[in-house]
Amino acid sequence: MNRILFQLELRRNARSLILWSVVIGLLVFFTMSFFRTVLQYQQQISGMIQLVPAAVIKMRGFANINDIFSIMGFYAANNLIYMMLLGSIYAIILSSNILLKEEYGKTAEYLMSRPITRSKIFISKLLLVCLNIVILNILVTLIGFIAIHVYKKGTFEIHPFLVISLYTLLLNLLFGALGFLISVMMKRARPVTSFCVGLVLVLYFLYSISRMSGVDGTFGYLSPFKWVNVDLLSPTYGVEMWRTAAFIGTITLLILLSGLIYRRKDILT
Amino acid sequence: MHIVEINHLTKTYGRSRGIEDLNLRIPEGNIFGFIGPNGAGKSTTIRILLNLIFPTSGSASIFGLDVVRDSKKIRSRTGYVPSDANLYGRMKVLEFLKLMAAFYSAENYDHRIRYLLDLFDLDPDRKIPELSMGNKKKVSIIQAMIHRPELLILDEPTSGLDPLIQSRFFELLYEENRQGTTIFFSSHTLSEVQAFCKTVAIVRDGTIVNVEEIASLRKKQLKKVRILFPVDKTIEDFDLGGIGPVESGTGKNLIFFYSGDINVLIGKMAGQEIEDLSIEEPSLEEIFLHYYK
Repeated sequence: MNRILFQLELRRNARSLILWSVVIGLLVFFTMSFFRTVLQYQQQISGMIQLVPAAVIKMRGFANINDIFSIMGFYAANNLIYMMLLGSIYAIILSSNILLKEEYGKTAEYLMSRPITRSKIFISKLLLVCLNIVILNILVTLIGFIAIHVYKKGTFEIHPFLVISLYTLLLNLLFGALGFLISVMMKRARPVTSFCVGLVLVLYFLYSISRMSGVDGTFGYLSPFKWVNVDLLSPTYGVEMWRTAAFIGTITLLILLSGLIYRRKDILT
Repeated sequence: MHIVEINHLTKTYGRSRGIEDLNLRIPEGNIFGFIGPNGAGKSTTIRILLNLIFPTSGSASIFGLDVVRDSKKIRSRTGYVPSDANLYGRMKVLEFLKLMAAFYSAENYDHRIRYLLDLFDLDPDRKIPELSMGNKKKVSIIQAMIHRPELLILDEPTSGLDPLIQSRFFELLYEENRQGTTIFFSSHTLSEVQAFCKTVAIVRDGTIVNVEEIASLRKKQLKKVRILFPVDKTIEDFDLGGIGPVESGTGKNLIFFYSGDINVLIGKMAGQEIEDLSIEEPSLEEIFLHYYK
């Protein structure tokens, strides 16, 4: 790693990291604050839910209809939208631009005329992206944890909370790795933000459809969202070997591939 | 010894040509001009030397080191001024220069930076986004010279600089050259290269057309002559030696390129009635069109 480049990127990306953490943190906190209201109107809401097709409920992120009345079920649904979806969008925007912006901003000519190898540039920027994603996850998870404690009624188990937080982080890191691959595959440098955000949304949509009941959801595994188990209330909920292996394997593969391509990439303007 | 050696270098972008079978040697201590019209392959060559892009075939070396394999070592001894000065934003001039210098070694370059800032009359506390194009160019020049490189690669470094700063810049380059720095100077302005360089390589359509000493280039200096007569004439009437390509050989208006003795030309015209006469430097495009066909 090159310390100078790492510090430069740290400074250049600090503002957006703070902004995203604050916004996602606030969204999580405020949405959690509705939990008490949901409990208060449990009867009415139950009645209403009967009318809503079960498929739609599942799409929204609840494993079972009644999960909405449990703090962890409620949190899982929130976490899905805010951390899994928005966090992944943050990760892919950051990673797809961090190498490419030097090219379309033409600063690559300065950076790459310094005595620094391509590998070091890649590793420094990769570590910065990982660090930012980890910081975002820690901050928002902490806010979620506080919100759960503030709004919960009854008991709360920490184990499923930690497990879902871990998989959410892995999901965000996977999209970070995907962003790198997309950016190194661009022949002519231009911003790829909209394409990347679109890709995350399409994969999310794919996953949502696969969760609708009455649908054979196997195709959903094409989307990494499906690799996260959101059924927090299941008694067997925990770390699963295949899920962890799928995430770590894919992330490693994406990063290795990106690094190899970047080492031989023509930096054009 | 040759500082830069390029052998049969070819670079294609998909189907379009960048450079083709380009060969070039730059002797140590030279001020070497690299001149050609836009799109001739100047920047492609430079970008390969810096390993920004990879050769399709052929090879190039700097200081005897391969530009692909030993790129990092080469770049620690090279300075580069890109044609566009796109600096990192959200930074002050001094901050940017210190950042650029920090990549080299633990050595303290503060004095050198101050000296160069003074020389170019640049305020270290100005923010980069607020700088004019010319001032950005100055910052770009300074960043390439901080670490006293053995080879300076300049891609159209004078564009955007006012004449006063240009002459200071050339003085600085001469000074660095006296201390041993080899200079590789890419430009599309012939007069600039003629005034400053020792040797010039002319590049066109991706290959080197000619490498010449500036002194010998001057001898066969081509002039563009236009003469307007009150009556029709033909150019053969004048029996001039050293006539180059003729654009208009008959009629009231004669336009031709002339590389002979200027006194002979004036002598032949002396007895004639002439309405208008101009003798000018041909543009580079014209030289390429007529001279290096």
